[in-house]
Amino acid sequence: MIPSESDAVLMARIEARDARALGELYDRYAPRLLGLARRILGGGGEAEEVVQEVFLFAWRSAASYDGGRGAVLSWLLIATRSRAIDRLRARGAGSRPPLRPLEDAGDPPAVDDVEASSADREWQAICRSAVGELPAEQRAVLELAYFEGLTQQEIAERTATPLGTVKTRARLGLMKLRERLRPYRRSGTDAP
Amino acid sequence: MPHSERHEELVALLALGAPLGADAAELERHRAEGCAVCEALLAEGREAATALGASVASTLPPPELRERILGALGPRRASPPPAAPWRVFAAAAALLLAAVVFDDARLRRDREELRSRSADLAGRLHDAETALAERTLRARVLESDDMQMMRLGGSGPQSGARGMVCWSAKARRGILMAGRLAPLPSDRQYELWVFQNGKPVNAGVFDADASGRAVFESAPFPEAEAQNFAVTVEPRGGMPSPTGPVVLVGAPA
Repeated sequence: MIPSESDAVLMARIEARDARALGELYDRYAPRLLGLARRILGGGGEAEEVVQEVFLFAWRSAASYDGGRGAVLSWLLIATRSRAIDRLRARGAGSRPPLRPLEDAGDPPAVDDVEASSADREWQAICRSAVGELPAEQRAVLELAYFEGLTQQEIAERTATPLGTVKTRARLGLMKLRERLRPYRRSGTDAP
Repeated sequence: MPHSERHEELVALLALGAPLGADAAELERHRAEGCAVCEALLAEGREAATALGASVASTLPPPELRERILGALGPRRASPPPAAPWRVFAAAAALLLAAVVFDDARLRRDREELRSRSADLAGRLHDAETALAERTLRARVLESDDMQMMRLGGSGPQSGARGMVCWSAKARRGILMAGRLAPLPSDRQYELWVFQNGKPVNAGVFDADASGRAVFESAPFPEAEAQNFAVTVEPRGGMPSPTGPVVLVGAPA
């Protein structure tokens, strides 16, 4: 579960302005990033625009990637989430969740990406099961914060729960998630 | 201010990327005092939060997106310097180039073929994994000696839906198998309710697949006895008590 050496090599090549390396990084992770962007923004062109921005950011800022602080995939997921949430907030829908139809005509379906390595695929399954094992009410708070960018007050309103309970659930849920993922961490390096 | 659970709650929200509003200043002050616990929790919390993003199913991008991105890159690495300018070597280089181009085309064909084979295998693996996961969770309830069953019928906007819950009071869990469920917008999910002491209790949220089917293992029931089950449509993530239309409900004996 440590970042593969080839990820680090790819980043070094990207830093040296090797466009083919960016293409390889894209083949490896674009489906994961597009999945996340669509989970936040729904179908349609905006999610693709976010993915484009993230790869251009990776191209420009490969030097700012610090392998000691996390895997390349984590770095890309953080960049994707923050850009997608910015767009979601810019829609100015206030506390209302956006309508995100799943079955937009012409949108490609969710897939298991072909380029993903087996370690990457395994990591996805571990994360999915760690999230899935959280108590439903804690998971709801985590997902509303992470995927919808809601404030604690908005989460309290949406779940009809007192604010104090939302805070407690956020702390407990994140703590549990951390504990479940702890066995997969390696010394000094994050899992991807 | 000494470190407290309240700071840990704010750190968790910050790690999840939730705006802290009026509480931001308080946490800011506390961190400025150099709280090592909060810094460590924040780093680990951010990493754990990324697992939410890493858990999402992949989506195949349209082919033109790759071209669009690669076409928008700024300056690239300069080409390698040309070989020695001797004519004799230039001729050899041209020959070599032709061989490389030919080889490149062959490699590309091979790659396409491998890609299509690996797509096929990945699809089969996914199907097998899904089947295995479903079988494992069924075994947990179905092999308990106090397994009970209840049929659920469609209701309200989804009168065509059908379902069945198998549950075990010992395991305090149930398995819902449902079919003919309608597709939902992505901000909605189905939520299973178990009736205990006459009240619906949240037993977890789930999604139906593209053909309207779902096999779902419930969250643990707070009490052992279950009197009835129902499924409603709720905002994604679920609600603490039902707010949406009932689409499946049991008829207790």
